[in-house]
Amino acid sequence: MDVDLRPVRKLRESAAARAAVGPILEAVCASPADLASLRVVCDWIQYKQNFREPVVGRPVGDTDTEIAFDLRRCGDLDPEHLAARVKQALSGPGDQPGVALEPWVTGRDSCIWRFNQLYWQALSGWEQATGREYEQSLPGGESDARNAEAARELILELFRIWDELAARRALPEELYILELGVGNGSQARTWLDEFLQLDRRHGREYYHRLRYLMGDYSPHVLDRARQAVAHHSERVSALVVEATRPSVTLGFLAGKAFLVYISNVYDNLPTDELASIHGRTYQVETQAYLAEDDADRIARQLSCRRDELVTLIDRLLRIGPELLSEASPGNCADPGQAVAFWQATWEALRLRERYVPLEGLDSYQITPTLTGEILRPLIEGDGDVRMHVSNGALGSFTGTLPLLHPYGRVQCHDLFLTSSQQYRTGFYGPGKYDGSVVNWVNGPLLQLVASRRGFGVEYTPFRQRPGSNITTLTAQARD
Amino acid sequence: MVLLPTTVVGSYSVPEWLERLKTEYYQRRISAQHLTEINEVAIKAAVKDQELAGIDIVSDGELRRDNDVDYFLARIPGVHIPQRAKADYFDYYDAEVTRPLPELAGDKEGTDASTSLGLAADFRFTRQLTAKPVKFSFTGPFSLSRRIRDEAYAEPGELVRALARRLNAEARELAAAGADLLQIDEPFLAGYPEQVDLAVEAVNIVTEDVPVSWALHVCYGNRYARPSFEGHYDFLFPAVKAARVDQIVLEFARKGLDDLRLIKQYDWDRWLGLGVIDVKNPEVEAPELVASRIRRALEYVPADRLMINPDCGLRHLAPDVARRKLRAMVAGAAQVRAELGETTR
Repeated sequence: MDVDLRPVRKLRESAAARAAVGPILEAVCASPADLASLRVVCDWIQYKQNFREPVVGRPVGDTDTEIAFDLRRCGDLDPEHLAARVKQALSGPGDQPGVALEPWVTGRDSCIWRFNQLYWQALSGWEQATGREYEQSLPGGESDARNAEAARELILELFRIWDELAARRALPEELYILELGVGNGSQARTWLDEFLQLDRRHGREYYHRLRYLMGDYSPHVLDRARQAVAHHSERVSALVVEATRPSVTLGFLAGKAFLVYISNVYDNLPTDELASIHGRTYQVETQAYLAEDDADRIARQLSCRRDELVTLIDRLLRIGPELLSEASPGNCADPGQAVAFWQATWEALRLRERYVPLEGLDSYQITPTLTGEILRPLIEGDGDVRMHVSNGALGSFTGTLPLLHPYGRVQCHDLFLTSSQQYRTGFYGPGKYDGSVVNWVNGPLLQLVASRRGFGVEYTPFRQRPGSNITTLTAQARD
Repeated sequence: MVLLPTTVVGSYSVPEWLERLKTEYYQRRISAQHLTEINEVAIKAAVKDQELAGIDIVSDGELRRDNDVDYFLARIPGVHIPQRAKADYFDYYDAEVTRPLPELAGDKEGTDASTSLGLAADFRFTRQLTAKPVKFSFTGPFSLSRRIRDEAYAEPGELVRALARRLNAEARELAAAGADLLQIDEPFLAGYPEQVDLAVEAVNIVTEDVPVSWALHVCYGNRYARPSFEGHYDFLFPAVKAARVDQIVLEFARKGLDDLRLIKQYDWDRWLGLGVIDVKNPEVEAPELVASRIRRALEYVPADRLMINPDCGLRHLAPDVARRKLRAMVAGAAQVRAELGETTR
């Protein structure tokens, strides 16, 4: 029997975590499971809102089983209750009772991403119901994108590069800056205000050559951001951009962008997970479901039967809460009730998981232009590991790199792992941030992919807020 | 030779499987002998592809090389490379010189095998594969020097000149092996336009007393299919006129044809290798587009001094894309040739 105790730091720091381990092993050993083919995995799931029961079973291929525990919550379970959970998890691993919302799918295709999309599309309704803006749900309570000092530093570095290029008559007429994921526009405003001031002092009139492009997939968000930079309107353009495929909209920018600024976008993009177990590579498949009790409770609130609930949820995800109240007034009398239904469903949403063997890394498509072959150095040859593929982030990142001018750079603040080893010692998602999904981004994979394209990637602690989980990625051409 | 002869700049498409095998070698998982055999199979295929596409002057596709720099630096005596394993075959080594490069002993009539970089043997292998004329290219001393940490020379130009002398010896061997068209590639020069005089001086050291037709290729970089620099070819003129070469090979397809004016403005009276295929874009040009680019060039250069080639090496293009681009280039050149009413001169 393999026992994988991942949260090593917690085991040092937390008596509760340590105390949970003994009873877990007692319960597992007391179960009738074939211990020789059993993997026991213990995580510490830091997200209070997440997709996991404290104890879950997962089939590994056709023969083996993994049973996974959340140490944070298992410590609160009495031994009898824990044993019952273990028995249930092992009796039909991957088949916990509940109402399935979808068939088994890869992580990136799960309906949790439809919920995520709905959150950003119908944000105002969610915010109204919770009484707080989404920025307040971010760690630290605000966006990381409002720091004049950091903006000044970047701008002065740009001036240095532009001066050099100008000296060799190699400076383009138009100087492009791109921001992806513009939030409420405060980053753009700070940046442009600083730029204007510094340019006046610098005296080269770069401001008049500046083209600041704001890209976001939500026209609503773009409108809000545009208002924030109205006083720079001649320099700013707003474009609807699909984050995972920036080149579709921004192809014209190839080789021209001197700076691409991205903040807290990648951790919110769809991802698969792959695992290497006993030398074999597996894809993690998931299935979103509601526990029976939760499904019954929500169905009662909607005055519908349990079997009608799945249809209503699908309708909610297709048309949003506003229209749902019009389309199904018998279930949701007004938009407020529809939002309450959405929030209750989201809170109750869980994921089942199973490991499905992968027939060769090259047969796995990370993005339309990138095969799983690139994962080989990260996933093979170093023992068991389960990691995010960060498909959405990679799509965005690899689509962004070609936009850079030879002297351009990407700067990205996000939740990045900086070493593959971290996957062996911690839990990195998925979790829930308010109504959205969060996964840490596979930083070493981005680094590797960038390297194969001639870019160096550096990770540094986020200077604007020491001690935060945010890491800054800087990518620029090397050699 | 036909009017408007078609050729390649040097490198040919490196398929993903070959990249992986090369990396296996640099991680010491396959032997040097196996890699040599793999490379030779790939070179045969590359030459065949060029012949089938109708290219008039072919190359070995530079398929033995890990990249445009290290293949040479790793062979030059006196260049120290502390770590020769690589995570990826295409990565650059960290190379250094800590004392002046050893000079070749004796006269300049030839080098002995122990100091040879082996380029003549590479050429001989390609020569026996085809009846077509062969172009053989190698990276020039200026660009090689940009990838070396120099702790040996008080004046950086001395390293460039020392490398040039080494390459001159190699060129003599190539000529002795039957090479008649050699090309010096300077992919880094565009990033250091203020050093063009030094680069030209070094080119002249390389070409000195080597009785072949010489080409000089200057582009804006093609590493990972991206330009390393931006700008215009203004920096090259008039300095390049002092280079003892018979042809300059420049990129125009990606950057546009505006810089053709320089050819006339500075009265360049030798051959021009006209880049008509964008090697950084997988979209295959129509023969008509190629033809239109050639016609435009003919406003500046007479047809009997115009050679038709891609902007740069094809290494980053997928094999099928590379083949189709070459066919389009050949077809475009044929169109213009037919319009000129002359097939041979």
